[in-house]
Amino acid sequence: MSGLAAAPTQAAETARSRWLGLAALMAFMAVLPLVLPNAFYYDVVIRICINAIIVLGLNLLIGYTGQISLGHAGFYGGGAYVSAILVEHYHVAPPLALIAAAVAIGATAWLVAGAILRLKGHYLAMATLGLGIIISIVITNESRFTGGPDGMSISDFSLFGLRVSGEKQWYWVFAGLLALAVVLAQNLIDSPAGRALQALHGSEIAARVSGIPAAKFKTRVFVLSAVVASVMGSLSAHYMGFITPGLAAFPHSVELVTMVVVGGMASIYGSLFGAALLTVLPQLLARFEGWETVIFGVILVGTMIFLPRGVVPSLAARLRRKEA
Amino acid sequence: MLKVDGLYKSFGGVHAIQDVSFEVPKGVVYSVIGPNGAGKTTLFNLVTGIYTPSAGRVFFEDAEIGGVAPDELARRGMSRTFQNLQVCMNLSALDNVMIGGHLKLNSGILAAMLRWPGLSAADRKARARAAELLAFVGCERYIHADANQMPYGALKRLEIARALAADSKILLLDEPAAGLNHTETHEIEELIGKLAQSGLTVVLVEHDMKLVMAVSDQILVLDYGKRLAEGTPAEIQANPDVISAYLGGEIEGE
Repeated sequence: MSGLAAAPTQAAETARSRWLGLAALMAFMAVLPLVLPNAFYYDVVIRICINAIIVLGLNLLIGYTGQISLGHAGFYGGGAYVSAILVEHYHVAPPLALIAAAVAIGATAWLVAGAILRLKGHYLAMATLGLGIIISIVITNESRFTGGPDGMSISDFSLFGLRVSGEKQWYWVFAGLLALAVVLAQNLIDSPAGRALQALHGSEIAARVSGIPAAKFKTRVFVLSAVVASVMGSLSAHYMGFITPGLAAFPHSVELVTMVVVGGMASIYGSLFGAALLTVLPQLLARFEGWETVIFGVILVGTMIFLPRGVVPSLAARLRRKEA
Repeated sequence: MLKVDGLYKSFGGVHAIQDVSFEVPKGVVYSVIGPNGAGKTTLFNLVTGIYTPSAGRVFFEDAEIGGVAPDELARRGMSRTFQNLQVCMNLSALDNVMIGGHLKLNSGILAAMLRWPGLSAADRKARARAAELLAFVGCERYIHADANQMPYGALKRLEIARALAADSKILLLDEPAAGLNHTETHEIEELIGKLAQSGLTVVLVEHDMKLVMAVSDQILVLDYGKRLAEGTPAEIQANPDVISAYLGGEIEGE
């Protein structure tokens, strides 16, 4: 019967390691500015944060729930452009524009989810890919609003008269949001709803006979991940000050999915690692002029061969095996 | 409690279930047996909402449930296990059992992210209860295990624990002893006996005759999708039609 008493203890242990991980992340983000020499490095870290938050949302959908999306750049770019259009053409306050964009993107995701989440595997991938491409085409072609392929500029973000501008201020905004996203994602995963999502991945039929409405949960997590991407799109539009249709383009969707897979499916810190690796790697490889794509590819292929579950989960499993 | 009336199911030209009717009273262990391909699992899938009947009706507590989705049936108090395991290998043993208790917990995504008051406490309670259930089905060794570390026989019992976590009114077990050795089968037999004693209504599909005869109150025999016989274990064992279906009958006209 010792096992019985130990079950809640085990849960408390996971809770403790969770807070440790979060504390480490926050401490790291707090001291990082001390060693960042200039605005360029700030910019790299900010881009990592933006990608990490989107990838966290996407990992809930792909890694935890087992549904693929090849269209999330569409939601990201869509959020960026709705914000930019509302702020620049209609003089809406940036926070309101951000919320409006999130509602619009969330509604779009919700509308299509009913139809496309019934699909499985390759079909779902194709449908989300199509959706992303449609959003990207609309952005490119509606040049009256979006400036077309030339892109459009957008003013600084301000909230109650407080203006956020410059890499150093934005750094704290995105670092704070990243910590918040990690907390929210961890809370979700360790909850009945999070278990339901993972059960859909493990055995949809078992989930359904246990009373989990599969379609509803898939729709909710799809909409959630789309809204996260949209909010990050709005914020990064303000941060960058100038946006182009490339944000919403298909290659960016693939990049986001690659971050999930390389970092680790169904892993919070895997999402962060994947985002960091795939954001930094192209910068690091820039010196191998002409060969960077090849080296990039070799690193990705090597990772998937030697750490097939993604970097973080594979290494964590190895570590645990050594301990045992 | 459960009533099936003139049920038909065909897949293309194959008539998997033809005109099957039966009634399961509350608190009994009701078994469905039959040779391979007799349509037992199809019947189960029709009753539990996995398939939609081609014709005929299924009632659960006087409400018609033919074609009602499995998650809605769970809500009404029906749980089941599977012949070919349906266990979430990406989760721990405890989490798998807790899935069964899904309907009793706050499953809102926003509530989860914001750690709604009471949500964690209820979840901790559910976890403790899941540990108890694992012990009840004889899996106390695996309380800290991940599902993918468990042997086949334990996973079979894990599914039963998951079904019990729902506290449902009726439990449908699809070949709980399939692929188990003699000792494990005996453990399942004892477990079903314990469930019956607790007053739970159990519907059982099973190949192992010794197990079926030991635990059942009523037995329905299917052959080629049709109802062949129904009765108590003693009646079924003495029924000539059943014996010929299992052992092969004499050729007519000889």
